Amino acid sequence: METSSASSTPASRAFQVPSRATDGQKAQTLIEIENFDFYYGAKQALFDINLKLDDKRVTAFIGPSGCGKSTLLRCLNRMNDLIDGTSIKRGGIKIRGVDVNARDVDSIELRKRVGMVFQKSNPFPKSIYENVIYGLRIQGETNKAKLDAVVEKSLRGAALWDEVKDRLHESGLGLSGGQQQRLCIARTIAVSPEIILMDEPCSALDPIATAKVEELIHELKKEFTIIIVTHSMQQAARCSDKTAFFYMGKLIEYADTRTIFMNPGNPQTEAYVSGRFG
Amino acid sequence: MPTEPVSPPPQKPFLIEKKRTRFLGLTLDETIRAFFGGNAFTAVVVLALITIFLFREGSAFFGQNRESITLYRQAGLEYVDYMRTQQEEHTALTRYLFDIRLRAVKHMTEAPLGGAQKEKDAASKELWELEHNALASGPAVDPEKLASAKARVAAAEAASAKILADANAKLAAFDDFAGRYSDTIEPVRGLVSELTDVAVAIKEKYTINEDAKRERAQYLAAGMTAEADAVKITEVDFKAELAPLVGITPIYVETANGVAAAIKEVASTPPTLPVPALEERMKRFQALNAQYLASFPETQRKLETWDYQKPVPAIDTFTGFIFGKQWLTASFWQDWYGVVPLFVGSLMVSVIALFLAVPLGVGAAIYINQFASAKEQKLVKPAIEFISAIPSVVLGFFGIAVLGQALRALSQVEALSWIPGFPFSERLNALTAGCLLALIAVPTIFTLAEDALNNVPRSFKEASFALGASRMQTILRIIVPASLSGIVSAVLLGLGRVIGETMVVLLCAGNRIAIPDFTEGFAAFVQPVHTMTGIIAQEMGEVERGGIHYRALFMVGLVLFFIALLINFLAQKIVRKYRVSIG
Repeated sequence: METSSASSTPASRAFQVPSRATDGQKAQTLIEIENFDFYYGAKQALFDINLKLDDKRVTAFIGPSGCGKSTLLRCLNRMNDLIDGTSIKRGGIKIRGVDVNARDVDSIELRKRVGMVFQKSNPFPKSIYENVIYGLRIQGETNKAKLDAVVEKSLRGAALWDEVKDRLHESGLGLSGGQQQRLCIARTIAVSPEIILMDEPCSALDPIATAKVEELIHELKKEFTIIIVTHSMQQAARCSDKTAFFYMGKLIEYADTRTIFMNPGNPQTEAYVSGRFG
Repeated sequence: MPTEPVSPPPQKPFLIEKKRTRFLGLTLDETIRAFFGGNAFTAVVVLALITIFLFREGSAFFGQNRESITLYRQAGLEYVDYMRTQQEEHTALTRYLFDIRLRAVKHMTEAPLGGAQKEKDAASKELWELEHNALASGPAVDPEKLASAKARVAAAEAASAKILADANAKLAAFDDFAGRYSDTIEPVRGLVSELTDVAVAIKEKYTINEDAKRERAQYLAAGMTAEADAVKITEVDFKAELAPLVGITPIYVETANGVAAAIKEVASTPPTLPVPALEERMKRFQALNAQYLASFPETQRKLETWDYQKPVPAIDTFTGFIFGKQWLTASFWQDWYGVVPLFVGSLMVSVIALFLAVPLGVGAAIYINQFASAKEQKLVKPAIEFISAIPSVVLGFFGIAVLGQALRALSQVEALSWIPGFPFSERLNALTAGCLLALIAVPTIFTLAEDALNNVPRSFKEASFALGASRMQTILRIIVPASLSGIVSAVLLGLGRVIGETMVVLLCAGNRIAIPDFTEGFAAFVQPVHTMTGIIAQEMGEVERGGIHYRALFMVGLVLFFIALLINFLAQKIVRKYRVSIG
């Protein structure tokens, strides 16, 4: 009964959810979101979010457009500070037990620990080399040997080294879309953050480039905690260990990816992952 | 069942002809289109006409300038100028000596005179108080005190007079030397003045003759042969006329040799200066003098080989304009049309203007774009943009009435005397004009730079913040570099605005046609200058149409035209080259 019901859900026909090495291992909680209410001006964007995100795992945020998943992601490194009129009315976000919105937390220091990759690849109009070491440059690092080492390590980490090692000093804007996105990832891991936030990193990429980035996410998981916002259910199924489904600013369901896609507990989740709405 | 052939239904014509009202064979839409197109092309036609006109009027300058230079040679003016140059160089050296003397006197008397002055001031004050008391409280003042105060004042005055007299006495030997040196050139001076008259007479004769020729031609054209014949024309025989001039060469050479000998003799017994600090200057004088003497054979050679018939190369008329260091018009001797002083003037006021306007404009743009609150933006942006609405003549008026005065007053503040050029006495100078031009350039630079900053994609900023950069780091390392091309072209267009501005420089730049004295370093920037735009505005109304002066002004206009063209071209090129990298 148990197995047959799993195979009879519509979702199971659509997706193969691969088993992973980390399955069954107990992960530590890194980020705790508690009773979190967030506003754009007078408009409430997030309603009472409670979520515990695991260390060294990939968590996917899914949901229809405007459901608040990107907003929550941007709250994790306080990118929303840059937008006028945003406010947190209740609750908070703790990373390793530290409230990131506390008065004595410097948003600049926070962002060094919590990096971010954006929807549209956005390399700076500088050389590939300068793009990668930008984060170190602004921290005042000038040691050439160290910078060279970081560039190689980061580009290797982003699976881009072999493609660009001969043209490190050419403009980063000369790369293809997928390469640019991996360059952005290299740039992010160069400052050695603990957490990498990815806001629909593959939405502007073709399937081959997408596959490369997804492969990369698997690699990065060993060192970093990754939170990825995606519109592609396949991507969530392929990449993530846990998935959170949001709808209208509320967290509807949060569970192991396998559960979300094979055996969702909430009818809305099932409707969404099976493609009946959203 | 066999089907019967069906006859196809009659075809209706698909295109339906519609009667349209036509005007000159055009429909209404076509007329409107023609009107719009005509408007667009009018701009092109007008630009072409202006360019052609400028070139046509300007290009005739070269022919006329060549005539002018040829006459300068044929009438012997050039010949006399060789001698004059020699005389003027000597005068410059004499001036140098007087300058040394002035410094020496200052050096010797400054400190003691200051003391004497202080003493005199104190005594005068005391005396004034005593007299004042006497007026106020009757004759109760001690007459003895009054007398002693008066004596003190007199003593102080006598002391300062003595200091000056002493200084002058110490310089007696030097004065004697300077006087003798100054006198050595007298023989040449006499000769030059004589020959000047001769050369001017020849030139005059030629000019009158040319006028007569023109008159006759006019009569002939009007068919009045009798009157034409009555006009007397006597061709100038330059060779004969020049004979007395050229014949003087040996005499001149002899005189010059005499002068050289005299100078050598005078210079061989230099006085010892009472001020050792000025020895360097005296050495410099000796070196300059040696140089001067060494130029004598060259002048001689020039005079001896001088030939009035030597043709003037066509290129000279061009180089004479572009590299000519003199703009001299309506002179009795020879008119020179060299654009350099005007160009340097324009350049100097532009440099000052940009030096002030670039930090102001770009800084304001960065602040407004990156830091300012919505309220501040609302206040500052229209205010800066409003500056460009002020008519430049009003700015010029403000410059004369307020800014020039204020800058001069500022320059005379004791605490600022370390700034080169301060204090200055000319109210209207390059600095005053430059400050006002900066005001004109700021709105252009600000608006365009702000646009450029605005065009930097938001994603760059976000990416930079996400990597842990502060706001300032993001601005300096990402936003400004990404918009640099826009900022540079904003500055270039600001420069274009400044270099073409006329009214302000005409009113405030001081309008002295001379290359500023750069030997004083930055002090050159507070000297009055004239500009290319200013000279056209000032002189165009007064010149004879079609004359060489008129043409010369058109040439200046052409130079301006090319500068503006170059600036715009560069600005566009820079924007285009870097736009790709941002997009």
